[in-house]
Amino acid sequence: MFIVKNAWRSVVRNKGRNILIVVIVAIIAAAATIGLSIRDAAQTARDEGLANTEVTATISLDRDKLISEAKQNGDSSSDSSNSGNGQPDFDAMRSALDQSSLSLADYQKYAKASSVNVTTYYSEETGVSATDNFQPVETSTSSNSSDSSSSATSSDSGDANGDQNQPGGQGGQGGPGGSMTQGDFTLTGFSSDKAIANARNGSFTMVDGKVFGYDSDSDGQAIISKSLAEFNNLSVGDTITVADPSDSSKTYTLTIVGIYKNSSSENTTASGPMGGTSQDAANAIYTSVSTLKSLGLDSDTTSSSDSSTSTQLNFTYVLGSKDDYETFSQDVKNAGLDDTYTVSSTDVEQYESSLVPLDNLAKFALTLLIIVLVVGAVVLIVINLFNIRERKYEVGVLTAIGVKKAKVAAQFAIELLIVTMIGIALGVAGGAAASVPVSNELLAQQISSQQSEAQSQQEQFGRSADMGGPNGGGQAPGSADSGSSSDSGNDSNESGDNAPGQPGGLAQATNYITTVNATVNFKVVAQMILIGLALTLFSALVGIISVIRYEPLQILADRS
Amino acid sequence: MTEQQATATPIVDDTNHNAPTTAATAPAASPTATTPSGATATEPANDGAEHSPILTLDNVSYSYVKGGKKVIRDLSYSFESGRVYAITGPSGAGKTTVLSLLSGLTSPTEGRILYRGQDLAKTDRYRFRSHDIGVIFQSFNLLPSLSVEENIILSMDASGKQFDRPKHDIAVDLLAKVRLAQEYANERILHLSGGEQQRVAIARALSYDPDIIIADEPTGNLDMSTQDDIMAIFKDLAHQEGKCVIIVTHSPDVAEQSDEVFQLAALRKR
Repeated sequence: MFIVKNAWRSVVRNKGRNILIVVIVAIIAAAATIGLSIRDAAQTARDEGLANTEVTATISLDRDKLISEAKQNGDSSSDSSNSGNGQPDFDAMRSALDQSSLSLADYQKYAKASSVNVTTYYSEETGVSATDNFQPVETSTSSNSSDSSSSATSSDSGDANGDQNQPGGQGGQGGPGGSMTQGDFTLTGFSSDKAIANARNGSFTMVDGKVFGYDSDSDGQAIISKSLAEFNNLSVGDTITVADPSDSSKTYTLTIVGIYKNSSSENTTASGPMGGTSQDAANAIYTSVSTLKSLGLDSDTTSSSDSSTSTQLNFTYVLGSKDDYETFSQDVKNAGLDDTYTVSSTDVEQYESSLVPLDNLAKFALTLLIIVLVVGAVVLIVINLFNIRERKYEVGVLTAIGVKKAKVAAQFAIELLIVTMIGIALGVAGGAAASVPVSNELLAQQISSQQSEAQSQQEQFGRSADMGGPNGGGQAPGSADSGSSSDSGNDSNESGDNAPGQPGGLAQATNYITTVNATVNFKVVAQMILIGLALTLFSALVGIISVIRYEPLQILADRS
Repeated sequence: MTEQQATATPIVDDTNHNAPTTAATAPAASPTATTPSGATATEPANDGAEHSPILTLDNVSYSYVKGGKKVIRDLSYSFESGRVYAITGPSGAGKTTVLSLLSGLTSPTEGRILYRGQDLAKTDRYRFRSHDIGVIFQSFNLLPSLSVEENIILSMDASGKQFDRPKHDIAVDLLAKVRLAQEYANERILHLSGGEQQRVAIARALSYDPDIIIADEPTGNLDMSTQDDIMAIFKDLAHQEGKCVIIVTHSPDVAEQSDEVFQLAALRKR
């Protein structure tokens, strides 16, 4: 017991040296606390960010893979006949691409194959043409542009839609290579409210009437945009007639049950002249899949009937969390999904890219932590070693009067422990006060470096398209909240800012996580105390070894 | 002056050891150990139980390096309670080494040192040092950063003994005993003169009431009158309190005042 008293006396006596150690330890502890809390917060953000947030996933075709496979097959099977002229086997590739279309039943099969809870929604999109008394909204009067678009160009636009223009988290390529939207209007059938909420043109509000139902009772009901209604002077209750784009004699009649207004119309006209009027958001007619089916325009019917009009199926899986998403991907693979398809999630991709600065910060924090701890350990050991060398005489006297070496060593360890614990307490307090502003400042630096990288890419390309830029945040339509999950806003501070923004336009917006909640919690304090204890004991060990080496006689003889 | 005891009879004592171990040592006692009266160490004498050896050197040899030059060789001697011993000898005769051996700071390379019949090499020498023997070092070995009282109490703490009075009181009494004023209790060691430090070292050695007091040149830094004071204290300790006092000294005066003189011969001569 008296060694504790001695240790305390010794600490009080050597104020100068101990204050120096306290300051050093406090600085180390503060830096380590900040590092630890950043890592902790980053981990929390990563774990919790999508843990309870719905994640949407789609199955899409990996065209590169498919084409290269088709090429290989073509090369191996038709060496003699075809490869001589060096031309790629276009027909084989086209047929390969064509066969690869997944049907609605396929999609639903995979949903069933999942071991995790999965809900689905889908939409089917087809083109219809204007009739005399129902005209599309357009600036030029020539409404024939769509007709003149060859299959080649529409195929291009199909590609563009599939690859870049991932509409609001519901990608999917139901009609591979085929013409997706011909005609003057886009007639889209939705399977549920959720599907409408994630409509490609973004969210909308009803200005009149209400949205159609989804069962067969509501067949024939549709809603049209406000612009279209005004253009044709239509109101709720009126009927419209549209024609099959490939056969103008074939007409379909729909009843208007509601008129909607897009929340973000400015982004949705961006398809340029290629798309024709049907690409204009104003010319989108929304109805239920049931209606499409009753009209014979659903994807199964159109693909089997070999009609020139094909309907694109967008099938989306909704999963409870990111973990579920990963399980689902695996389950789908196990259920026999060809490996030319990939399961992807824009939510997850968005989230991953939003985490890049935070990950960098966490890496930086780890580096900081290691450096600080190594330097701290070295400094502590050196100080302790000098300290004990200086007190060799004391060791000699204490052992000479019969104090056991273990007790002397324990006294020194306790002294160091008292001092380092004071230092750690001060350092943790300082670190706790500084960690939130410091870590947010560091994160801001990471983000700006990330952004300037994007900036330089933009300069290189001379345009801002396709690069998830910082200004993309403005383009993310409100569907983020309603669509992905309404509880994303309830998430902790760090993930609140990154509710996966769903880009409505071309640019894929990345909302970086801009704040990190690096508050020092009990876990961090406990870790710090453990680290401090380990460091102290480690450096005390060095002292203990040098104490053990001393023989009292030798020390006293040296002295006299 | 009386002869050193080397008895072969069983010893009746209150200590918890066996006498036969000491009995065997007596015939082998070193011929170099002589008393001022000229009696050899081997001469048998039996003055009673109070003269039983408390500390015995049994054919002790010591060399700093294993197999190296022996600093002392085949030394045998017995120390008894209630007597003052002076260890004298020329420089290089191994006085300090004998002191180190007796105080348990080091172990002999050959032979044994027996404390109450127990081989020191086989017992806890830390406990022996803290509990049973008080050493007054030539250079005092006080802790300079501690006060006088703290130094004394440190030794009391280290002994692990229980004291029936507050340690502070004991310390003050001891200071009075070594003729230091009470104000010295809170003085730092660094602020004391050599003589004062020496007295503090003596007070410290006495503080936990050890059976044996060993002093290395305890009067070296002192003037004649203080030297006489200190010697008076030592004689009191031996004769009144029954301690065994062993003094390593150059001073003929000190040797003169001792009960017995253990003369170490220079090794060269042998």
